[in-house]
Amino acid sequence: MFSLSSFLDAFWPLTMAARYTLLVSGLGIALGLVIGAFVCVLALSKSRVWRTVAAVWVSYLRGVPMLVQLLVVFFLLPVIGIDVPAIVGAVVTTAIVASAYISEIWRGAIMALPKGQTEAAIAIGMRPRDSWTRIILPQAVALSIPQLINELILLVKASSLVSVVGVMEITRASQAQAGVTFRPLEAYLAAACLYLAINLCLAALGRWLEHRMAV
Amino acid sequence: MVEASSVEIRKVNKYYGQFHALKDIDLTIPPGKVTCLIGPSGSGKSSLLRCINFLEEYDSGEVLIDGQLIGYETPGGRRMAPRRLRQMRSTIGMVFQQFNLWPHMTAQENVAEGLIRVRGMRKPQAMERAAEALTRVGLADRMGNHPSRLSGGQQQRVAIARAVAMDPRLMLFDEPTSALDPELVGEVLNVMKALAAGGMTMVVVTHEMGFAAHVADQVAFLEAGELVGVDVPSRILREPEDPRIQSFLRTYRERNVI
Amino acid sequence: MDLSIFTEYGPRLLAGFRLTIICWLLGTVFGAALGLLIAVAQRYGGRSVRWALQTYIELIRGTPFLVQLFLLYYGGPMIGLRLDPLPAGLLGLTIYGSPYFAEIFRSAFRAVPPGLIEAGRAIGMTELAIVRRILLPVGLVSALPALINFSIILTKETVILSIITVPEIMYQTQYMATMTFTFLEGYFTLALFFWAFVEVISRLGRRLERRITRHLIERT
Repeated sequence: MFSLSSFLDAFWPLTMAARYTLLVSGLGIALGLVIGAFVCVLALSKSRVWRTVAAVWVSYLRGVPMLVQLLVVFFLLPVIGIDVPAIVGAVVTTAIVASAYISEIWRGAIMALPKGQTEAAIAIGMRPRDSWTRIILPQAVALSIPQLINELILLVKASSLVSVVGVMEITRASQAQAGVTFRPLEAYLAAACLYLAINLCLAALGRWLEHRMAV
Repeated sequence: MVEASSVEIRKVNKYYGQFHALKDIDLTIPPGKVTCLIGPSGSGKSSLLRCINFLEEYDSGEVLIDGQLIGYETPGGRRMAPRRLRQMRSTIGMVFQQFNLWPHMTAQENVAEGLIRVRGMRKPQAMERAAEALTRVGLADRMGNHPSRLSGGQQQRVAIARAVAMDPRLMLFDEPTSALDPELVGEVLNVMKALAAGGMTMVVVTHEMGFAAHVADQVAFLEAGELVGVDVPSRILREPEDPRIQSFLRTYRERNVI
Repeated sequence: MDLSIFTEYGPRLLAGFRLTIICWLLGTVFGAALGLLIAVAQRYGGRSVRWALQTYIELIRGTPFLVQLFLLYYGGPMIGLRLDPLPAGLLGLTIYGSPYFAEIFRSAFRAVPPGLIEAGRAIGMTELAIVRRILLPVGLVSALPALINFSIILTKETVILSIITVPEIMYQTQYMATMTFTFLEGYFTLALFFWAFVEVISRLGRRLERRITRHLIERT
């Protein structure tokens, strides 16, 4: 039978573990934004070679399940002589996978701008650098905010997979809790509630930002 | 009064792949006068207009602004240095069919942006100048609004102010009233008339025959990439000799009879 | 790396891949069916039905697939739901996919021009006939690209079933890796394999999409 007290008891250890969920997904998206910006620049470059590099990067990272990528990175790092805690591998994998999606989000946002926006800048005699920093990027970034928030929500959920390599985040902690109390239903339900709470907050943040950015 | 530019178009050809969009166009646009480009859609009039500030690259021939070739170092030669091209463009104002205002900036910021980035003006001066330009087009009370809060006619007047604030010697209008609801066309045409009266060289692609008839100094008719005729409006619009112009005007009148 | 391990474990891997495909196809079909049901119920149901379904959608979309699987597989027995790994996995995939499918159908239905429905009513069609003869055929075609797209996302989710010991390809790779200590090689090969697999089905999906839309254009 469902035990309310063990359900409630599970929240304290899981909330502690949520720090790692937030760390992995938060750092993941932050680094993903940086790498994604580079990939996006390559994808929009005039050189065919750079465009191909970007296309392969995006296609590989979007084609391979995150769990598989996580294990590849986890076993690759020691082989190439990098001995770091599992959480570093988790953050690296998350960031790299996120970069593929983020670069596509930004590319899409930039391509979605009407051509006339840059034409007006060119016609007035603006330098390409100014038309990027003043006209294109401010609009593309605002346009991409809802999708970036959505990506962050996806990452929070995907971070449950790093439990597999032993990072003590929400899912791993709920497994531990279930193992100790023999109450898996309550432990996993508590985990689900915690994820839901985080994601509802992020969704609300997204709506607020979208509302603020809308001109 | 700033001096007004002249434009000399000589043997200009333009291809889109196999499609021959502009065929050996010769046209002289005198300083301080209004030239209207008319013709059926797809005739190449917008392409020709966009060749004047090299937004569209022509493949052969010459476009000279005050005797200076735009886009190329020499006729048929290398592309012009970007910096020089930008410098030439900054003296040519352009107004688009879709306004192309920057939606993340207020009306005033839209006008000031070019002054700051291109003219190197300081922000306070640029904003002051933008305010003057907006006042001249009758939008003194709308300066702080974003484009989405303005009607189409107001947006297009902001776009004109944005171009005029740069002190251009030549203004290009690409179907400036085609995207507007009929009741908003007048306010934009009035601003354009005032500009014309001030002695600005203007090239206007338009479907507004009334504007062409009353404001233009010369009207050029294009069809299928060819310049069919150029003349003063009274002759070309009232007693055209070429059957292609006659049939275009007949269709136009039939469509506009209520 | 010693390639002979692939011959030794080949049959296992192949069986795993077959199961992956089965999970993917069944997960797509069941998930889409449930999603369609939800979308239709949301369109025609009352306020409370709509609210309940929207809550279900938010709950499923707000939680990770892995946690849903754990709840089902480990938590289920505590309320009398005792499932083997494979049925639990399939049920999990169906539930996980259903809200996404529902959203796809919902927006496709919303994109059906109201005039088409009104035309049906005008000639006296019943609501059921309108759903069967107008809403579904027109909506499904416009939903197709998104359906294919989400189905491809589902292929990648199937590997998570390995965590509750469904013997699909990830599980078999893990088995091989553990037995032969070829972790990096094994997982990297699996990554390349999946990459190729997803590329192939994406291309097939695009072709299918073109064929079906072309058919539509010819008929109208």
